[in-house]
Formats: sequence, structure tokens, C-alpha cells
Amino acid sequence: MNLLGKAKDLLGRASASNDPLVDDLVDALGSDAVKVDAAHRALYAHDASVFDAGFAGPTCYPETTEQVVAIMAVAEKHGRAVVPRGAGTGLAGGAIPLGAPVIVALTKMNQIHDVDTVNRVAWVGPGVVNLDLTNHLRPFGFHFAPDPSSQQVCTIGGNVANNSGGPHCLAYGVTDAHVAAVEVVLIDGSVAMLGGLEDEPDGLDLRGAFVGSEGTLGIATKVAVRITKNPPAVTTLLLSFDSVADAANTVSEVIAAGVVPAAMEVMDQRITVAVENYVGAGYPRDAAAVLLAEVEGLEAGVALDAKKISEIGRANNATQVRVAATDEERALLWKGRKTAFGAIAQIAPDYYLHDTVVPRAKLAAVLEQVYEIADRHDVIVMNVFHAGDGNLHPLLLFDRTVEGTLERVHAAGAEIVRASLDAGGVLSGEHGVGVEKQPYMAEMFTDADLDHQNRLRQSFDPVCRANPGKVLPMGHSCADIQSLRQTPPGVWG
Amino acid sequence: MDLHLNKEELNTCVQCGLCLPHCPTFRVTGDEAMSPRGRIKLMREVQDHDAPLTKEVIRSFETCVQCRGCEPACPSGVPYGHLMEQTRETLAEAGEITPLWQRLAFKPLEQPVALKMGSAALAIAAKAKLVPKRLGLPADLAVRQESLTASGDDLYLFTGCVMDAWQRDVHAAGQRVLEAAGFGVTPTGSLAPCCGALQAHAGLLDTTRDLAQTMMSSLSGDDRPILVDSAGCGAAMKDYGHLLGTPEAQAFSARVFDIQEWLAQHVASLPKVEPLDLVVAVQDPCHLRHVQKVHLATRTVLAPFVRQLVELDDDGLCCGAGGAFSVLEPELAGDIRARKVDAIQRVSPDVVASANPGCSMHLGGAGVATEHPMTLIDRALTT
Ligand SMILES: Cc1cc2nc3c(=O)[nH]c(=O)nc-3n(C[C@H](O)[C@H](O)[C@H](O)COP(=O)(O)OP(=O)(O)OC[C@H]3O[C@@H](n4cnc5c(N)ncnc54)[C@H](O)[C@@H]3O)c2cc1C
Ligand code: SF4
Ligand code: SF4
Repeated sequence: MNLLGKAKDLLGRASASNDPLVDDLVDALGSDAVKVDAAHRALYAHDASVFDAGFAGPTCYPETTEQVVAIMAVAEKHGRAVVPRGAGTGLAGGAIPLGAPVIVALTKMNQIHDVDTVNRVAWVGPGVVNLDLTNHLRPFGFHFAPDPSSQQVCTIGGNVANNSGGPHCLAYGVTDAHVAAVEVVLIDGSVAMLGGLEDEPDGLDLRGAFVGSEGTLGIATKVAVRITKNPPAVTTLLLSFDSVADAANTVSEVIAAGVVPAAMEVMDQRITVAVENYVGAGYPRDAAAVLLAEVEGLEAGVALDAKKISEIGRANNATQVRVAATDEERALLWKGRKTAFGAIAQIAPDYYLHDTVVPRAKLAAVLEQVYEIADRHDVIVMNVFHAGDGNLHPLLLFDRTVEGTLERVHAAGAEIVRASLDAGGVLSGEHGVGVEKQPYMAEMFTDADLDHQNRLRQSFDPVCRANPGKVLPMGHSCADIQSLRQTPPGVWG
Repeated sequence: MDLHLNKEELNTCVQCGLCLPHCPTFRVTGDEAMSPRGRIKLMREVQDHDAPLTKEVIRSFETCVQCRGCEPACPSGVPYGHLMEQTRETLAEAGEITPLWQRLAFKPLEQPVALKMGSAALAIAAKAKLVPKRLGLPADLAVRQESLTASGDDLYLFTGCVMDAWQRDVHAAGQRVLEAAGFGVTPTGSLAPCCGALQAHAGLLDTTRDLAQTMMSSLSGDDRPILVDSAGCGAAMKDYGHLLGTPEAQAFSARVFDIQEWLAQHVASLPKVEPLDLVVAVQDPCHLRHVQKVHLATRTVLAPFVRQLVELDDDGLCCGAGGAFSVLEPELAGDIRARKVDAIQRVSPDVVASANPGCSMHLGGAGVATEHPMTLIDRALTT
């Protein structure tokens, strides 16, 4: 740092902080890269989820692995927890800070370091935006396959931490299948390379343990992602139905017939109307449900698959089958599907999005239950889901300023999760556990399972300073409680 | 503090974050406080939870370019532009933003004579390299220009304030192009000195309302279309209906067209000529693309007159000019511009077509060759 910078820092510090933790962070990173004011603490107290805001400590904006190492050292010295954060689009509360931790915002580590089309790997910073990577790869004829609906904003680091999925993960698999290696800064400040570029790296698959660890095992500072060749041909179909059950049944029959579409997404009428209001892609407003299906591969195969899907749809009472004629039409249809969650504010200011997975054959039955549960609790529900892999996303819409609503929403949500588990489903399709699904972990896993998970975590982080209070239920997580000592309330946060 | 924001409008934001990558200030800082989601959240904290107006909160509001790139990106339809304008008005009235020197700086805009004298002085100073570099002004500002005369009464051509002083060649070119398409044109000149866009951005909405009234009364009497060749002015004038909320203002706004928007309907009337031998990249001014949403017209009118049109790959991200923003926040504006310059270099055009004087000057300050679509077409027509 130059002299002027140092002088500015000293001045800034004298007025901004009488907290030794902050002073050390500023020493390590410079004053521009550390924010502790009330506005930042308010903004970083939550992510895109509906859960209560946490309490943010200082937010740091490192630009290099070395700076992340330095942050870890300062946090260790002061015994403070550390919470990594990407774009803050998580829906399970994973980036909500508990216990005034140091927040490590990785948005500035957004370099695409290297693209190797021969070995089909790209090395990227954790703050690289998912869609920016795919756009960058386009001229090479490649893309990054996991495409969460939030792909225009969410980061690769967040995708890795949540093992995120997306519409096209039906054919390609979720993030885990597309991560070769991760450089991680562990809680003690050491740097480890997990996984490798060889097909069968030696030893335990620690890379696999890290993917989906939601920031509880350390901070990813560089990721080697596998890149996927763009298919020669793509066809997108839009099928309309008079009932959600018909759409769901079409999906299970398509898969049963041996067709593996790249994506199969269902939206019910309410959400379709909201989406259409925003994109104007020609989604039918009068259909009870629409199915967006995409097939890709070689020209001839694509045509056959598309035909098969239309036939199955018609056999299940599809009222209309439309094939996107141009790339623009295709893009617009997908834009609609991918902005669905945001579009709901046209209807209510808050939403709570669930994320369970049920066996495909039970889709129609569970959906019926979902509508019934929502009705009983008097909340509006909309359904939009990755139908191909049975990943349900019931959206509960509400206005939190209306007294008592939040309680009803949580009660309905809890019943929906139970109904999915009862049908043989799992807790989280792709959004992670975070603070959201913690209470259900004990229903899904046995004590022994949870104990093993906790021991794995402790071997990375014996003191539980990495994103404490997340994923594992309290009783099962080591020293979380200690890390979570709250800063006195009263400060605006 | 009550920011006087409409509760319903404020509530439409679900904090999903889909707008973040479309925000130039978030793109270059990675800081939530410099993002639309963050700014909206802070508006809520201030209005609903009485959070104090700290310097960081004010900074968050002041650093907004008001490019409104976040609006089309928002699936919930949050009317961000109105929220930010209203916030600024409340803060300006409370004396929290837009200090006196800035208010005084806007004054000459409302008085054409003063502006022209000041501008000529600035142009000479720029030539003599006396203008601080951070202003990013190109060295070749015009000092004296030909005057415009009416050629008929089919259309008004709005000539405005800054642009008339600095880029009158654009008006002249626009007028010739319109005439070539068979229209008789009346330049508005001193009939309508200033649209009030810059004042509105600074929170001085009352001044804008006054200017709107002045313009409306001098251009009423018939319902001639009013064409505008500056994207920022056009956007402001199309918003008078909302700003004043009267039927007259709404009717006035309905008469306002961007010049490209208008000509796109009449390309067939323009003579067929040999296109200029140039590769032209289209830079969409934010207020043409995100606010007026008529940016595609630029391509329609320009395509027949140049060898090749190329698109930038940055999804219409702001260039950082933002009215007076590049002067008030030179560092941020420079970082934002650097991204735009990179995008331009990736397609290596001969020239960049920009339909907004602010963008042209800001990009010109980084050495990018820019030209208004109208001067390009005019050149093709006259050479
Ligand atoms: C409109 C909308 C649509 C969505 N659609 C989908 C979808 O289709 N599929 C899907 O799977 N998800 C979806 N999500 C959820 C969310 O976008 C994903 O979970 C995404 O991967 C989160 O990325 P992020 O950068 O925002 O991470 P954040 O929310 O910032 O963080 C998420 C978690 O990752 C951790 N983390 C972040 N960066 C790192 C790092 N570098 N190292 C270690 N840990 C880290 C955080 O601590 C936190 O626990 C959607 C969200 C929204 C708002
Ligand atoms: S402004 Fe719109 S896109 Fe941005 S966070 Fe709010 S709802 Fe989402
Ligand atoms: S108007 Fe532009 S700068 Fe302001 S928040 Fe929206 S996108 Fe960001």
C-alpha cells in the first residue's frame, strides 16, 4: 500500500473503529476492503431467503487467496466465526451471519483464470457469476452445465457450496458432477487443493465432501470446473394441460419411455400468468399447467425425442404442443421460467420457496397434497418445479406485514416438507439446508448419520468457526453454541 | 425518516438479487450497498425502521447512476427509477444531498444564453487543456456552430440545453435526415430551453416540474410530434405525464419520440444510398434501452447506411456517464467505463454509435471514437 493509502487508513480507522478485530482486518486488506458501518451490517444480515436476519460483523472483500488466508488468521486470533458469501441469492439462509461473524464477500474474486478446451476444464475464481462463465465460454463452443434459475447472478462458489442444480441438470447432473478440483482456505488459514484434474484422483474424495458443505468446511478460493460442449441441435417444446396432474404424469411417462430430455420444467397456472406478465413469451394464461421440455443432441435424435414427448403429452390430454421456432423464442421461454420466483411479487411481497424432492411416480399425488395443505392454512401456493427429477418448488406467497401470516406460512411449509418425506422424498433438492431445513435433519437422518457428518465437519474445523449454526442441527454440531455468542443487541443491524 | 416513498412500490422488491449483475456500480464494487437490492433495502430501513441517515446510507443513494438497468432485469416490476427519484427529492429538500454549488451549476442549463457562453468558454478551455482530466471531456468540443432554421411544421426537433451548446452538429444532421425523409422540421431552440432531466436526477424535482410546464406551454397549440435526439432528454420528457400527473402532461408525453424511434417507422422514405464503409458498434444509452425501451430502432435506421453493425456483449450495461454522474463520481464512473471500453474492444469497430451526448462525451474521454446515429446517416446521405 502506498503512503497516501496508509495515511487514509489511519485516519479512517481513528474515526471508524475502536474494535481491534476491525483494525487487524484493515491492516491486512486496506480500509476500502473492510466495511463495518450500520448500513453494510444491515445489508449483509440476510440473503434472498425469508429467514430472520442474522447479525453481521465486518464484511471483507478479498481479491486474492492470500487475502482470504489473512482474514482467516485475523479471525482465528480474535476467535471470531467466518461466513463466506457469494451473491447472496441462497434461499435456505446459508449466508445469514449468526453471532456477528466476519463476512467474506467473494464478489471481487471474479477472474476466469484459464480455459482449457482440450481437457474441458476452466479455472475460475469463486466470485465468477455462473452466466458470465457460460457467456465467456460461448465463443469456444462450450458452457457450464449447472444452470440454476438464478444463474445470471449467483456465483460459482455459491453453486459449489450448495451443490446447486438447475433445469438442465436433469441430463447433466448437478454441480458436483462438474467440479474437478477446489482450492480451499481452511479455517486455520492453510490452503488445500481438494480433488484434481485426473479422472481418478488418489485418496479420499474430499472434493466431494466439500461440494455441498455450505461454507462449513472452509472457503473456496479457486475452482476447476468441467466445461460441457454445446449440443449441435436443441428443440424446446411447450405443452399446455388442463390439470397439473396431467403434466406431472407426462413427465414420469417420458422418463419411463427411456427419453432423457435435457430439461423438463412444470409451472402451474398462477405462476405462468405472473411470468407471462413479465416476459410476454406467449405462455398460455388459461392452461392449468405448462410443461417446458428441452431435448438436445444430434439433429435426428432430437427430432425423434421431440416427437415422442409430443405424443406422450397428447396421450395425457395436452391441449396444445408448441415447438419454439427460433432461438429468440427459446430464449424468451427460458427467461420466463428462470425469473419465475422473482415475478411473484406481482402477487404478494414475500415468498417462501420450498425445495423437496419426491419420487417421480408420486409427483401428482404429492402436488395434490401441497394444494390441500396450503388451502387449509389459508396461504397462496404456486408450483413451479424441476419435474424431470421430482424436485418440487412450492412457493408460498404472503405479506409478512399482515399479523400472523408468517406463522401460517411456516406451519404450511412444515407440513409440505413432511408430506414429501412421507412419500419417500428428501429434504433438499438443490438449495441447501442452511438454517432452513436444520430442524428436519433429525427426521431424515439417524443419530449415527448425523454424528458422522459432524465428525467430518470437525476434522475440517474442530472449533466450528466456519459458518456456524448451519446445516447440522444444534444438538449435533460441536462448538457452534460458543461461536454464536451474540453481540449485544441495540446496534442497528 | 419518511422518504415519502409509495409503500406498495417499495414492497414489490422480494430481495431476490436478479438485478445485481445489471447494476454497473455493483459490477465494479461487488458491494451490496452499491446494488439496487441494497439501495431498496436501505430505503426500507430508513422509511420503515427509522434507521439513521448515516453517511454510508447517503453514499449508497448518491452512487446510483440512475441508469435503471435494474428495472428491465426485475421480474417483479419494481419501479426503481421512481423510488430513487423520490428518495433524492426528499433528501435534497432536507438538505442531505445536492449541495448549493451543484444547484447553482444546474442554473445555466435553464438559461440558454448563459449556457452557451459558459460552454464556449469550457470548449476553449478544453482545447487549451485547462479542463481537469477527471471531467473526461474530449478536447474537440465545438466552439461555434451553424444555427438551425425551421424548414416546415410537420415536427418539432427538440434542441435542449447542453446538447445544443455542445453538439449542435447532431441536431443539424438530424434535421437534414428528417428532411430527407420528407418532413418539415421546426427546431425548438429557445422555445424549450431545458428538459429538466439532470435536475430530476439530483432530486430537484420542483425545478423539473417548472421546466416541464414552460416547455408544455410553449409547445402546445398543436399536436405536432416532438422528436428528441438525446436519450436522456427524451426519457425525461416522456415522463412528464407521471411527474405532473395531469391529462395535459400525459398528452404532451405521448407526443414525444426518440428520433430513431420515429425514423424507424419511416426508413422506407429515406433515399437509398451507398452505405458508409464502416463497422459500427451500437452502444445503447441506458435511457434509450432501459427507460424508453426503443433501442432496437437505432439498428433499424442505421443498418442501411453503414457496412456492418455489431453488437456489444455486455447486455446493455451502463457506461457510467449518467448525466452529471461522471463529473460527481469520476472514480466510479471511470471503473464502469473501463468495462464498456473492454466490451467495445472485443468487437473492434471503426466507430461507436451512441444516441446520447453524455455517453459520447464520457466514452470520448477514454479515447473511444463515437458518433451519433444521425450524423452517420447524414454523412451517408450527403457523401
Ligand atoms: C430467483 C432465484 C432462483 C433460484 N433458482 C435456483 C435453482 O434453480 N437451483 C438452485 O440450486 N438454486 C437456486 N436458487 C438458490 C441460489 O441461487 C443457489 O443456491 C446459488 O448457488 C447460491 O449462490 P450465491 O452465490 O448466491 O451464494 P450465497 O447465497 O451467497 O451463499 C450460499 C451458501 O454458499 C456459501 N458460500 C458462498 N460462496 C462460498 C465459497 N466461495 N466458499 C465456501 N462457501 C461459500 C455460503 O456461506 C452459503 O452457505 C435460486 C435463488 C433465487 C433467488
Ligand atoms: S429489485 Fe427486483 S430483481 Fe432486484 S432484488 Fe428486488 S425484486 Fe429482485
Ligand atoms: S439505476 Fe443503475 S446504478 Fe442505480 S441501482 Fe439501478 S442499475 Fe444500479
